[in-house]
Amino acid sequence: MFNGFRGVLYREINVFRKRAGKQILASSLSPLLFLIAFGWGFGDRVAVDGLPYITFLIPGLITMSSLNQSYGIAQELNITRFYFHVFDEYLIAPISHVEIVLGEAAYGMFKGLLSTALIFAYSVIFGVKLTVGPVFFLAILTHTFLFTTLGITIAMLVRDHGDQAAVNTFVITPMIFLSGTFFPVEKLPVVFKWLVYALPLTYSTKVIRAALTGGDVNMLYFMLMLGFAAVFFVAALRAVGRVEG
Amino acid sequence: MAVAERAGKVLEARGLVKKFGEKTAVAGIALDIREGDFTGLLGPNGAGKTTTIKMLTGLIKPTGGEIYYYGRDFFTCPKDAKRHIGVVPQHSNVDRDLTAYENLYLHSILHGIPKKRRREKIYEALEFAGLLDHRDRQVKTFSGGMKRRLVLVRALLHGPGILFLDEPTVGLDPQIRKNIWDLILKINQQKGMAILLTTHYIEEAEKLCRSTYIIDKGRIIIKGAPDDLKKDIGGYVLEIFREDGIEEAFFASKEDALERLRGCPHTCKVREVTLEDVFIKLTGKRINV
Ligand SMILES: Nc1ncnc2c1ncn2[C@@H]1O[C@H](COP(=O)(O)OP(=O)(O)OP(=O)(O)O)[C@@H](O)[C@H]1O
Ligand SMILES: [Mg+2]
Repeated sequence: MFNGFRGVLYREINVFRKRAGKQILASSLSPLLFLIAFGWGFGDRVAVDGLPYITFLIPGLITMSSLNQSYGIAQELNITRFYFHVFDEYLIAPISHVEIVLGEAAYGMFKGLLSTALIFAYSVIFGVKLTVGPVFFLAILTHTFLFTTLGITIAMLVRDHGDQAAVNTFVITPMIFLSGTFFPVEKLPVVFKWLVYALPLTYSTKVIRAALTGGDVNMLYFMLMLGFAAVFFVAALRAVGRVEG
Repeated sequence: MAVAERAGKVLEARGLVKKFGEKTAVAGIALDIREGDFTGLLGPNGAGKTTTIKMLTGLIKPTGGEIYYYGRDFFTCPKDAKRHIGVVPQHSNVDRDLTAYENLYLHSILHGIPKKRRREKIYEALEFAGLLDHRDRQVKTFSGGMKRRLVLVRALLHGPGILFLDEPTVGLDPQIRKNIWDLILKINQQKGMAILLTTHYIEEAEKLCRSTYIIDKGRIIIKGAPDDLKKDIGGYVLEIFREDGIEEAFFASKEDALERLRGCPHTCKVREVTLEDVFIKLTGKRINV
């Protein structure tokens, strides 16, 4: 039982292990730059939503960074699928598609949580106090799960590496900038507000920020995150079922 | 042959068809493979060999047709069937970022080899492939021949009943090709494993396969033991090099061919028939151009 899940995870973790140093270093740089530029730049003179800007910013960086990491496995899946045909080894094995999806998802969540831990370390250095409770844990797990399954879905649907890059440029990057990671979405003009409320990251950011800064967590938003997670999981499952080696 | 009669059916495929949009890659192929068989699929580039293998191993879905392993429908219980299948794909799919050992370990997890037996089996496989000393090297540092041997023993690790080899020696130099041939023959003889091998190398099919399906444009044009197929068209060929091309005449015996050669005003050559001649006779073109 669970041979597929364990096999996929074994593969991913062993590949990751060999590049861990480089990868962690590379993914730690951009949130640090954001913190220096906006956190120190604005300092605590600027308050947003009743929070010092740096306190407002850090939860945004957590959702951004963990999204980048957990969604980012799409890129790796793409390379292994199109160039090295490693994915075929899974498709030929007597394992089910659910196990493949869950194995990859566990890896994506692992990467997302790693980057979350990193930003927690930054927040200590920058002297920002966060409250970490069970709600936060549930939220970050849901958040990384939903974006990693989105990543898997897209990696299985695209026809080549170029398509993958296009999705990242036209969907993922705008979402990261617009979904309340760096500023409250309420400040957006109405049309944009409609748009960002269709994006899952908006809800992740709101829930995670509220959980970390001691605000009220909107349960409806949390349910919506779960809804997105369910939809993307099913989508990933179907996409893996359609993929041909 | 009595032994063949008794040997159980491993694989049976009926009316396999695969269309990619308008293009028909495989146009109705039927196969029968029994325990211990060594069967070749010989055909030119684009004949549909890889597509056939991919359908048989569950990598792509057929547009039509039936596949049975040990008499059971592949599509109703794919997991059961996949336990009996070993695959060496045309494009090596070893994990470049893992070591040889890790590649085999991954395979052992995916195929449910019990943890206690993994290490022993993996070492045995590495030994068989002559890769024991290289087990902890990342595969990206391997030569083409080493990678091929690794993929080969990986496909055997879980003890399949049938091994699919898609162009197992393509792109390898002659020395290494010979090395892989020896390994394949050893697998078939020692382990009694059924093998289905695709190739567009005539020599490979003649040397290794006890029965051959010759395919072209997604169809089987003839099947039989290589020697029988050759005998059927004559066994010996006389090539007459005329100004406007080569004329070929087939003869049952060397003597007949030499008889005809006498008094021929052109440059002539008598040689044994190959499967290439069989292909030319049936399709009017060569396998390898
Ligand atoms: N995914 C695909 N989409 C469209 N056409 C395809 C696809 N895969 C294969 N084909 C076409 O199907 C035909 C059979 O291809 P296949 O790869 O099975 O041939 P082959 O006998 O393995 O050839 P080779 O000796 O070059 O490996 C070819 O004309 C090929 O172009
Ligand atoms: Mg091929």
